[in-house]
Amino acid sequence: MSTCEKVREQLSMLLYGELSFDEEETVDAHMESCAECRTALERERELHAAFDQAVIEPPASVLWESRQNLQRQIRAEHAPVHAFMGRAGWWNQFLDARWLKSAGALALLSIGFFGARLAPNLGLGITGMSLVDPGAQRVRSVEPGPNGGIQIVLDETKQRVVSGGLDDQNIRVLLLSAAKDPSDPGLRYETVGILNDRAQTAEVRDTLIYALEHDENAGVRLKAMDGLKPFVRQPEVRKALAGVLLSDGNPGMRTQAIDLLTQGVGEAPAKNLDRDIIGTLQELMNRENNAYVRQRGERVLQLVNASQETY
Amino acid sequence: MAQKTGFQTDEKALIRAAQQGDQDAFGQLVRAYDQSVLRLAMNLLRSPEDAQDVYQEAFLRVYRNLNNFRFDCSFHTWLYRIVTNLCLDHMRKRKVRKEESSQVEGSDGPVDRMDTVQESRAESDPQRSMFAGELRERIEKTLGELTPRERMVFELRHYQGLKLRNIGEILGTTEEAAKNCLFRATQKMRVALGDFV
Repeated sequence: MSTCEKVREQLSMLLYGELSFDEEETVDAHMESCAECRTALERERELHAAFDQAVIEPPASVLWESRQNLQRQIRAEHAPVHAFMGRAGWWNQFLDARWLKSAGALALLSIGFFGARLAPNLGLGITGMSLVDPGAQRVRSVEPGPNGGIQIVLDETKQRVVSGGLDDQNIRVLLLSAAKDPSDPGLRYETVGILNDRAQTAEVRDTLIYALEHDENAGVRLKAMDGLKPFVRQPEVRKALAGVLLSDGNPGMRTQAIDLLTQGVGEAPAKNLDRDIIGTLQELMNRENNAYVRQRGERVLQLVNASQETY
Repeated sequence: MAQKTGFQTDEKALIRAAQQGDQDAFGQLVRAYDQSVLRLAMNLLRSPEDAQDVYQEAFLRVYRNLNNFRFDCSFHTWLYRIVTNLCLDHMRKRKVRKEESSQVEGSDGPVDRMDTVQESRAESDPQRSMFAGELRERIEKTLGELTPRERMVFELRHYQGLKLRNIGEILGTTEEAAKNCLFRATQKMRVALGDFV
């Protein structure tokens, strides 16, 4: 086997950082003098990047459901750690469906939500912090300090429970901010669910539209769309739904958007579809590669006697 | 994933507390790992229902056997041993029954079961979008053709970012064997995707 062949066999492991020091040295030395192997390494890098196309991020709703099912099963078990489900604590606060249902009427926003998404207590013997301390810490930055020491800047949050109705401005501000929290899809999902009950106010509607257009999690986007359903005739909502049709990567979202934007089409009495939506659907037909979504779009265009595509 | 030294110190205390019946401690342990467990199961099994089954079964086993955990390995390794065994069982059963169709009947017609959960990036360029779709399909098909062990090692190394030494420990094999498995998996992927990349 030639040196080039040997080196190329090792490229994948090189990218994974799984070569020994000596192996990596040999590969690096060869690369310096071999343009073809450098090209092969670039191709390997592209291949590795392509693998990421197939990755699936579980929706927050599936995680939530899993936690609820686990809670139920453990309750049914009466296993050794039975005290674990006995009193209201982390588990109940986060999983009790009744709590979630009543949240529409009375939003109880626990800063514990925020605490839970921070790193767990580091327990490094830092003054006052321990496992039982309700505080949470997150390392903001790390840099070398004087005399060979290290300076760590910690963000610390003490858990605090804030209660109030959705009419309370403070509660609303916290909810609107939680709905955009980039680090916790579960928190965004539940918050959007609570806000859906108050979508009649422009401030809340804007937040739902923001979630629909920008949230990276399809479960959260779908939840926001649910909240906007009653306002589907409003121009800003229609515009956002048209955006979903053309740019949301999830076929389920695009199907829902078609249904909402074309409500009443094909029913008696016949309803007209505005030209903008027809244009959006025609544009969709030019680019859609999901057979089911295409079929839905085509059906609507047939019902309003519009051509299938723009030319 | 909870891997930092500081958390590991805390984690020991959490496990001990959970072993003594502390509900919050067990809850924190679940919460520290359950997202990555669900992600692993979902990516390996490509089915939300099967991934949920694995999630339930894995944490129930942890719950039932936590008192037998003696810190011979990290909690992460122990938990992943349980999860990977459950996933391998699922994958092997599938190989036998050749797996059911990925199409399920929705209220509005047939839909792919993963369409509702897939988080693909929105593409505004239709050609790129089509290319990305085809590429993803090809990758998924090739992943499905790997042996369960190759699939597992590839998943743990590429998508979960675990080191081969740790993977060997989880799967009860050597680092070298895990490396060979990964090598075979990437070879197959390279051959299958050669004309795409």
